[in-house]
Amino acid sequence: MAIRTFTGNSWLDKLTSKKDLLWLTIWIAGLGVLWIWDALFLNAPAFARLQTAFLNSLLTGLMVVLFSLALGWFLGVSLNTLEHSKSKIGFAVLSFVTDILRSIPQIIAVLIGYVVLTILLHNGIIRSSFVQMVWIAGTIAIAVFLEVADTIRQRIDYFRTLDFVDAMLCCGIKERRIINVEILWKNSRSHMLHKLIAIFGISIFLQCSIDFIISVGLSTDVSLINFPMTLGNLLANVDSKQDILALSNLFTEPGYVSVIFTRHLQGLSVAFCIVFSMLCIYMIANGIVRRHKLA
Amino acid sequence: MSAFSSILHKENTGLRTRLLIHGAGIILMAAVFWVFISAVEVSRIESRESDNEIQKYLDLSKMDFGDPADRLLFRESLDVFYAGQTQRNDSVVTAIDNLRQRQFSDPAYKTGDTLDGLTWNMVRRLTGMYLQFIAVYGIVLLLIYLLAQRIAVYRFIMMKQHRESYLTQALELVRNARANRVGSMWGSAVRKLGLLLAKALVKGIVLMLLFTPAYVIAYSVKTTIDTSSILFMILLGIVSNGVLIHTANKFFTFLVSESRKGYVQTAIVKNLHASYEWDAPEGIPMRTLLQIKHGFRSHVFQSIFINARFQFIPALKEHASFLVTGLIIIEMALNIQGHFCYELLQQILYRQYDIAAAIIFGIFLTIKATEIAIDIWEHKEKRKYGY
Repeated sequence: MAIRTFTGNSWLDKLTSKKDLLWLTIWIAGLGVLWIWDALFLNAPAFARLQTAFLNSLLTGLMVVLFSLALGWFLGVSLNTLEHSKSKIGFAVLSFVTDILRSIPQIIAVLIGYVVLTILLHNGIIRSSFVQMVWIAGTIAIAVFLEVADTIRQRIDYFRTLDFVDAMLCCGIKERRIINVEILWKNSRSHMLHKLIAIFGISIFLQCSIDFIISVGLSTDVSLINFPMTLGNLLANVDSKQDILALSNLFTEPGYVSVIFTRHLQGLSVAFCIVFSMLCIYMIANGIVRRHKLA
Repeated sequence: MSAFSSILHKENTGLRTRLLIHGAGIILMAAVFWVFISAVEVSRIESRESDNEIQKYLDLSKMDFGDPADRLLFRESLDVFYAGQTQRNDSVVTAIDNLRQRQFSDPAYKTGDTLDGLTWNMVRRLTGMYLQFIAVYGIVLLLIYLLAQRIAVYRFIMMKQHRESYLTQALELVRNARANRVGSMWGSAVRKLGLLLAKALVKGIVLMLLFTPAYVIAYSVKTTIDTSSILFMILLGIVSNGVLIHTANKFFTFLVSESRKGYVQTAIVKNLHASYEWDAPEGIPMRTLLQIKHGFRSHVFQSIFINARFQFIPALKEHASFLVTGLIIIEMALNIQGHFCYELLQQILYRQYDIAAAIIFGIFLTIKATEIAIDIWEHKEKRKYGY
């Protein structure tokens, strides 16, 4: 009878039919289970650090999404306007610059941003942790916002091939409104949402990777300065690295699995947070594509 | 100028013009990096001259700048020799303090190497590393291109077979179990449920592995495998950082989008094979996943595949950039000495920004070369299909 009640629930049917919502639930539930497990078995200071690191990474990721949206929207619409203006010089220059930006790997752009941040910190120009996070988010956004700009241009180009735009122009609606409201806001929200979720995933990955690299490779400099705690630099922490190294024991001593989830919890929790979040974000983005038939 | 701009982002961009734009981009960036490297060199010379001036004071015999009495004596001597120049004398003392502090804390003073910037010796050393980086990158890109297509095709065919995920199948089984709760059916359903859950677990682990950052995988096997070998780097480049899964997903998206087009229905009406069952008479032989390019003859999927592949070629550019990001992360995070990107990190640490700039320019050239190669490839494909 319990099974009937469980599977007969309409919310479960809805959830399995909407993969994005299903994976959002799985993400929250998975992190919830991890939180309870850590609350039970992880020592209090490490648990506090893990929570701060996760929230900081999440906050930075959200800021990246906002900055990318703003920059991408601005660039996409600007390119479109310049392309249809009489003088094509502006379009040529802007396209050329974006073309060059595209050829710089994201991690290099972010690394340059971090080097500049280190210099600013050394000179005492930036002090607050929040401003550091804003800077980091801004740097990552510069590395990834072109994807938003591309999506915006694709949507505008698509609608320009239809009668949609001409008909609205004939009705006296301003082109700016047609692009910003009718095309992008009213008819492209699911496309944008999909792209922004993907960017959120990339930003978490880049943030963790660069923090890890900086903490490992530039440790002499970074020890002088306190970067905000994130999943990346918590993973680069000696304790966490020891925990990850302990996974090697499983190859020679499979019985070690019984203690690994209690004794090496800090590193495993951080790694799980990163990997599980990336997987779920990818699945959520795919779910949106499927539900809204974006492909 | 208008001709130049109009071809920038059009589908039918001429190859020659695209190459010109790439060339202009390379020249511009080369100029920017050259100016930067020259500026760093000038600043290094100035700083070295200034340090030499200060070093003269530090070399004074019987003078210990760590001793407050000696410092006071030195300051008073300066005031005697340069009377009335208080600001200048203060600056000299501050410069001495700065230099002493740097000699203790600056990593540049701790290395055995001489930090002379971008010398010919350094260029030769970097060239070897760069060639190795390009070789690894080329192999990984090729393998990802081949694997991603196969994964996407497999996923597409599974979708066409209306296969639900293992978890959904397990839920469905639980739902159906209501009617089969008694007798042997119940037992077999439990076994099937167990198998489905085990499959879901294995699939989950594989998926998580594909999304795991390279440094997590490398550290977790560090004590059992030599993580600094080229082979391990290639393997990590393929399976980690989500590169393979994202590339495969892109190709899968193109397949789905193509399969919805009208010509597919027309082809089916014209009696092309359209069954997606593995090894069925009108279906798809499983071995075609190995010879993917020509394996679907007389099947409607052949056209879907070719058209999707055609769109996938330019999309490879953005994946190439992401792949380079992944390789950089692997080399930097694993601290593999003697590798191109590890060297970049070291040079940033030693504040040898001119060498760092040269390495970044090398990476930029790699991406540009990939873009050029892809543009040429796309152009050839277009001509082949009469675009």
